[in-house]
Amino acid sequence: MNLNSQAQTPKFLDIVRRSIGDDWVHTADATVSRYGETTLPGSDNPPPAVVYPGSVDEVVAIVNAANETGTQLFPISNGNNISQGSRAPVGANQIVVDLGRRMNRILDFNEDMGIATVEPGVSYQQMHDELVRRGDRFMVDVTSGPPAGSVLGNALDKGAGYTPYADHFAMTCGMEIVLGNGQRLRTGDGALETARNWHMSKYSYGPYLDGLFVQSNYGIVTQAGFWLMPKPPAIRSFAFTFDNDDDLGDIVAAIRPLRMSGFVPTMMRLCNDLWLLASETSHPSYVSGRSITDDERKDLQRAHNLGSWTVSGAFYGASDAQIAPMVERVRSHFASLGRGRYISHEEAMESPTLASAVAAYAGVPSVHEMKQLAWRPGGGMASFTPGVPMDRDLVLQSSRKSREILRSHGLEYLKMYVCGPRFARGLHHLLWNRTVEAEDRAADQAYKALAAAYTDLGLQVGRSPIRYQDFHMSLLGDATRKTCEAIKDVLDPRGIIAPGRYGIGRAATA
Amino acid sequence: MNSTVTMPKGDLAEANAIIKTCVHYGFCTNTCPTYVLLGDENESPRGRIDLIKDMLASNAAPSKDTVKHLDNCLSCLSCMTTCAAKVDYGHLIDRARIHIEQTYRRPLADRLIRTALALILPNPRALHTALRIGALARPFRQLFRGRLRAMLELLPAGERNPPAPRRRQVFAADGERKSRVVLHLGCVQQVAAQHINEAAIRLLTRHGIEVVALGNSSCCGALTLHMGKERQAKAAAIRFVQDVMAEKEAIDAVVITASGCGTTVKDYGHLLAADADMSAAAMAIARKTRDVSELLNDLQLHPPKENMAYKVAYHDACSMLHGQRVVVQPRAVLKRAGFSVHDIAERHFCCGSAGVYNMLQPEIATRLGQRKAANIAGSGADILCAGNLGCLTQIGHYSDLPAVHTVELLDWATGGPMPPALRAYPLAPETKTEAPQNDTAPLSAATQSFW
Ligand SMILES: Cc1cc2nc3c(=O)[nH]c(=O)nc-3n(C[C@H](O)[C@H](O)[C@H](O)COP(=O)(O)OP(=O)(O)OC[C@H]3O[C@@H](n4cnc5c(N)ncnc54)[C@H](O)[C@@H]3O)c2cc1C
Ligand code: SF4
Repeated sequence: MNLNSQAQTPKFLDIVRRSIGDDWVHTADATVSRYGETTLPGSDNPPPAVVYPGSVDEVVAIVNAANETGTQLFPISNGNNISQGSRAPVGANQIVVDLGRRMNRILDFNEDMGIATVEPGVSYQQMHDELVRRGDRFMVDVTSGPPAGSVLGNALDKGAGYTPYADHFAMTCGMEIVLGNGQRLRTGDGALETARNWHMSKYSYGPYLDGLFVQSNYGIVTQAGFWLMPKPPAIRSFAFTFDNDDDLGDIVAAIRPLRMSGFVPTMMRLCNDLWLLASETSHPSYVSGRSITDDERKDLQRAHNLGSWTVSGAFYGASDAQIAPMVERVRSHFASLGRGRYISHEEAMESPTLASAVAAYAGVPSVHEMKQLAWRPGGGMASFTPGVPMDRDLVLQSSRKSREILRSHGLEYLKMYVCGPRFARGLHHLLWNRTVEAEDRAADQAYKALAAAYTDLGLQVGRSPIRYQDFHMSLLGDATRKTCEAIKDVLDPRGIIAPGRYGIGRAATA
Repeated sequence: MNSTVTMPKGDLAEANAIIKTCVHYGFCTNTCPTYVLLGDENESPRGRIDLIKDMLASNAAPSKDTVKHLDNCLSCLSCMTTCAAKVDYGHLIDRARIHIEQTYRRPLADRLIRTALALILPNPRALHTALRIGALARPFRQLFRGRLRAMLELLPAGERNPPAPRRRQVFAADGERKSRVVLHLGCVQQVAAQHINEAAIRLLTRHGIEVVALGNSSCCGALTLHMGKERQAKAAAIRFVQDVMAEKEAIDAVVITASGCGTTVKDYGHLLAADADMSAAAMAIARKTRDVSELLNDLQLHPPKENMAYKVAYHDACSMLHGQRVVVQPRAVLKRAGFSVHDIAERHFCCGSAGVYNMLQPEIATRLGQRKAANIAGSGADILCAGNLGCLTQIGHYSDLPAVHTVELLDWATGGPMPPALRAYPLAPETKTEAPQNDTAPLSAATQSFW
């Protein structure tokens, strides 16, 4: 049988309709066309159908039907993967399995241990609301992206936030997965009938299998345990803004000791001017093919009372008074740089450009940062996410390179470093007018040029838009690729789960 | 990718411009109540934008299906809060409703009911009579179905409402006059819930504000606008602007206690933009218009007369949350008055009231009302509070909690009477003191957290 030609789709859909019901199989053009839409360069990739399972048994039934008919699936949780592919499948003719529509329950909430066991559709907003409802004793680490993003889907893509619980996959403990071969697997102690440690102990006995299901395509994850941080009585943010593009290296050097010692408990967001301003204003003089000038950028900085780089973080404690001396220490630490303006918690709360940072440190979802997408008309957006060591020179060197490449492609440099002790997530948001063909092409070329330049610097991305996943996997070398393929052959021998995702397995070309 | 529509009429150019800004990110689908309930792309904002695009491009009467999907839209504007491309969906759906009204022939029963609502609701005398007839029919409501049943269910039950002043009346400030405002009584509110206006008048005058009530001629036009009846809406808006402009002494603000009206009045500059005689005045009124909570938040309210730490679930009317973005002020002022304010899960989700929506689309409205009531029940509060009569009526129908307007609570806290809706309920304020803000980190055995 020709695997994943469209010929087997009707048979697959017939079987699925019989097992999960007609209502949960959608093939209408209005639906599939929108599931194929992305914000990425190039054309969209509508799936032939979208199916909506309501339980793990229904997921098993769908996977079995796919194996029987040789149909490829593309599982999503809430599909809010904006800038990385949204809800669109990675390959042609892959059927989207939208788990979030119906599997969106918080299955268990252990109030003593701060553990929520969730299905794929549980969103940040839902989790936050539920925690407030239960007495506001815990907070969920949120992203600064869509509040409707899935807690589980995000963790499976190595998503991250800003509080001490920022590493979302690290905060999962114990998963349930339907493997590509149809088998149901519970990791860790989950196999025990009355498992007491399933969501308490990450490693338990035997190999640590959970990691296999992150940025891969070996199975469909149907639930996981998440650890939640007790909510502090007081949260106070602090920020400093610096005037010059080249202040970046010194700021990074100043952040590192604060994070390595654990003195500042949160990740520290270090954002450039346009990252912050773009959610407040649109391009002042948009002309396709031309990047903003430095003078225009300086004008915007002045209008919004921000410098070239702004760094922020937060302290937690029993009271504002208890936190105040810690803020003072950070102030004098940054003051030793001899430049930079301090922005207090109160000022940040009033400032629209810093609102999403303050919300994120407090575990509150917000739509603020998403307004960046209106910087240019036409809806193009891609994330380029190279991590970088917290090294003054390397950060400065790579940042200059990014600015130069984006400018030469007629685009703007929007950048945020999310700084940990030794390593920073480095997020570029490429924004362009997707309806102008030349600009769409330029965005694609800019992404590739950035990827090449960062590869030369020895820096790889932490996540990738679906369109570039093959490319990034090819950089990892033969042994890694072969190992990933070998695992795929065992867990998903017919290659039915999202072949091509993260460059594993072969996708039909979209 | 989106394509350009050649708009057949010049006056639809605005709609075209709005349509072009939609780039189909799809964030809006997550927060659109009808999409979440029905799971149909044509029941989502971007689906509707595509339907509107086709409808306006054809410049013909829309299909029955298109009308159904657009009628199902609540105009809650949740999609506008979420939209990253800043699509001005509110003006687009208004434009679409006007087009439907002008080109589509609805079934007779639908036409009759819409015409009746558009005639009766904005007219306090007619509404008064209708309510009296309705009150007679209400005990037999089980005999009715669909929209008629929904309307009877929503009728105010219980105590007779105090009458509103029929003519312009000025209520002097207590003590030194600090400012002077026009209070919009709301065409439905002054008939169905004048006690809210009375609470507002007491509250404002108590705090040194002179209040001018314009009498029962003034409807802001919101209800007819959202039914696509542009001519009536504009006529109402013009009357409103003229009434306010007729004030001889300067006014500092136009104060609104029905947030559905507030969204429309604040947007008069847009509604009357093409009217050369009125546009400047409309703009001036719009700029002066404030939700009552915005005004109160800027005042130094009298300290609460007793322990007011009642547990209050604050419901954000969509017109406040999405329409006017007035979110912080009502919470802040309630807290300052001593109330213990609780948020409600899914606060971005409409309760199903949406102007006359709960009368015209009772099925979806019922599902939303029940969902909202369940979330309110989960909040742990004893009182429901909102800044819009429509929401209070709709939620009051599904929730067990007594439902009161923000001004009623604030009036009570600062010396006024207990709100009528609370009198039959056994309520007790919280007595425990808040967790101490110590300089040493407390260890609470109950919460297991250490700070
Ligand atoms: C302005 C902006 C800011 C952002 N900020 C952040 C940020 O701070 N942090 C961050 O991490 N991201 C951020 N993002 C990126 C993205 O929007 C979020 O990560 C979002 O949460 C991803 O969508 P989702 O959670 O619904 O996951 P999904 O889209 O459902 O899942 C992501 C991918 O994982 C796979 N997958 C999902 N569920 C399953 C499953 N159950 N089984 C198997 N495979 C599965 C699929 O391949 C899917 O495409 C941002 C985006 C924007 C536009
Ligand atoms: S106004 Fe409300 S109901 Fe209408 S499309 Fe927007 S979110 Fe949906």
